[in-house]
Amino acid sequence: MRRIPPPILMAGQGVISLTRRDRLYRLVNSQAFVALLFLAVPVLLLAALKIYPVFYNLYLSFTRYELFEPPRFVGMKNYSYVFSNTVTRQSIINTLLFTIEAVPIGTALALVIAKLLDQSIRGRVFLRTLYYLPVVSSVVVSAMIWRWIYSPQHGLLNYFLGLAGIPPQNWLNDPNLALISLVIVTIWGSIGSNMVIFLAGLQDIPRDVIEAARVDGANPLQNFLLITVPLMRPVILFVVVTFTIGIFRNFGLIFMLTQGGPFNRTNTMVWEVYQNVFGYLRLGRGAAISVVMLIIVLILTLISFRVLRERQGA
Amino acid sequence: MKQSQSHLGTFSLWEARIPLLLTYAILIVGAIVMIMPFVWMVSTSIKPDREIFGDSIRWLPTELDLQNYTDAFEQTNMPRLFANTVLVTAVAVVSQVLLGSMAGYVFARLHFRGKMLLFFALLTTMMVPFEVLIIPVFLLIRFFPLAGGNDLFGQGGTGLINTLGGVMFPNFVSVFGVFLFRQFYLGFPKEIEEAAIVDGCSRVGVYWRILIPNSKPVMGTMALFAFLWSWNDFLWPLVVVKEDSLKTIQLGLSVFDQEQGTAWAELMAASVMAVVPVILLYIFLQRFLVSGGLTSGLKG
Repeated sequence: MRRIPPPILMAGQGVISLTRRDRLYRLVNSQAFVALLFLAVPVLLLAALKIYPVFYNLYLSFTRYELFEPPRFVGMKNYSYVFSNTVTRQSIINTLLFTIEAVPIGTALALVIAKLLDQSIRGRVFLRTLYYLPVVSSVVVSAMIWRWIYSPQHGLLNYFLGLAGIPPQNWLNDPNLALISLVIVTIWGSIGSNMVIFLAGLQDIPRDVIEAARVDGANPLQNFLLITVPLMRPVILFVVVTFTIGIFRNFGLIFMLTQGGPFNRTNTMVWEVYQNVFGYLRLGRGAAISVVMLIIVLILTLISFRVLRERQGA
Repeated sequence: MKQSQSHLGTFSLWEARIPLLLTYAILIVGAIVMIMPFVWMVSTSIKPDREIFGDSIRWLPTELDLQNYTDAFEQTNMPRLFANTVLVTAVAVVSQVLLGSMAGYVFARLHFRGKMLLFFALLTTMMVPFEVLIIPVFLLIRFFPLAGGNDLFGQGGTGLINTLGGVMFPNFVSVFGVFLFRQFYLGFPKEIEEAAIVDGCSRVGVYWRILIPNSKPVMGTMALFAFLWSWNDFLWPLVVVKEDSLKTIQLGLSVFDQEQGTAWAELMAASVMAVVPVILLYIFLQRFLVSGGLTSGLKG
């Protein structure tokens, strides 16, 4: 620590005079200088990794680029390919199907679990930890376990179905079951994180409203459906949006379990980007698909931001 | 139940019990479904093959068989995978905590022209998932100047492809971290810092001697998130690393999966080894996670 000497008033001049060292210290300790010192590295890194790539990606989406020759401008060709090629179009449809199948059920389950855990019951922290474990586990490990559970010959799921008299299914290789199989793993893996968001949201619901409804004769189910759910609407929408974005980003599960198959039934947009870039070295096409993905994700995020702001205003 | 306990007088004991029992029933059945895959993983990993491929399901093996662990350990070159992952993760954790707290301090406390503009520009990048930027970031690493035989313009070599530096590069800083630290420092009492400045402490000194020692909760939260992201990261190491000796544990596991096909006991043993450090750390640090990170992020 260094003491700043008191300013010296020079006779007849009336100005503050500082030694050179003090002036240097003032400069180095100025807000702007410290800000520059502290921000230079993180801001440069984020500019290189988050801002510049958005624009470079956009540029690449208008080019034909195969890594070994410089990108060549081709106009809208990649975009017309994205929307006309059956496989790529299928990947957009699959992503939406995946979302429609996973998000409503997954969100509802997470909300019910959060509501039940939002009481001072015994073992609450322990139960919450158990529900959160799949979130902590990596996608590779989760996928590996589920591949074993889905195994046609000795898998746990077919064994349970067998107990109920249902014939064994070839979960991950059956065109009609593959996407559902991925949806089940996705719901299992996301209940924990959605539950935590719901638990935080439930803290903000005034207890006396629920208590008043109970005194007025509402049973717990009515209380949940008529009081909690409407009051939680903004949080529910926030979870729906973040969950949907999570599904758009879900690469590892597809890589590990189905590789987009069978018959492209689990080929989603993120898999299609990966295939185009690292499979066929079509960087321009891959960039065009990721731009489409980014636009969808941005729209969804803006919706969730708007909802959150309304919630804070209310 | 807080409310029903205090109002038990208006409730008959019977009425109060049914919802409680139902709550437990649903929560416990749900929890069993949630952890069954993990239990099955552990169960498979300690069984001899004949019990894995037997006709009926056995949750507990008749004899403990740890051979699967030693097999998986040797076949995946587990020490190498662990060493790579620990290194990559440690760098990510330290760097994200340090850079996040530095930038968070600036955005929370210092004033300069264009600060809010810069802050919101950074905040917007949080909306962009890494997966959609994989091509330009890959190219950035591939054509990184003066690395891997590249010249100043990034030509001639392979850049940071196939290096641990390449794996680390996107994980040095997280916008989420900057935001997390800023929120924390905004809530930190200003008076202490002002008193220190009056006493002649420099701004860097305020950061280093006052804010850093008082940031333990937010650092724990950031460290846990950075650890989880880095340890569990899959897509990025997959596209950057080709060589076996540089693979992270997730990558090694995914390849092992394709090579082994149906050697389920070894696969499950390897999975257990990959997931146990994460679960232990989560249980150890979860107090921070619940009280700090997520809720403060949501409430803005």
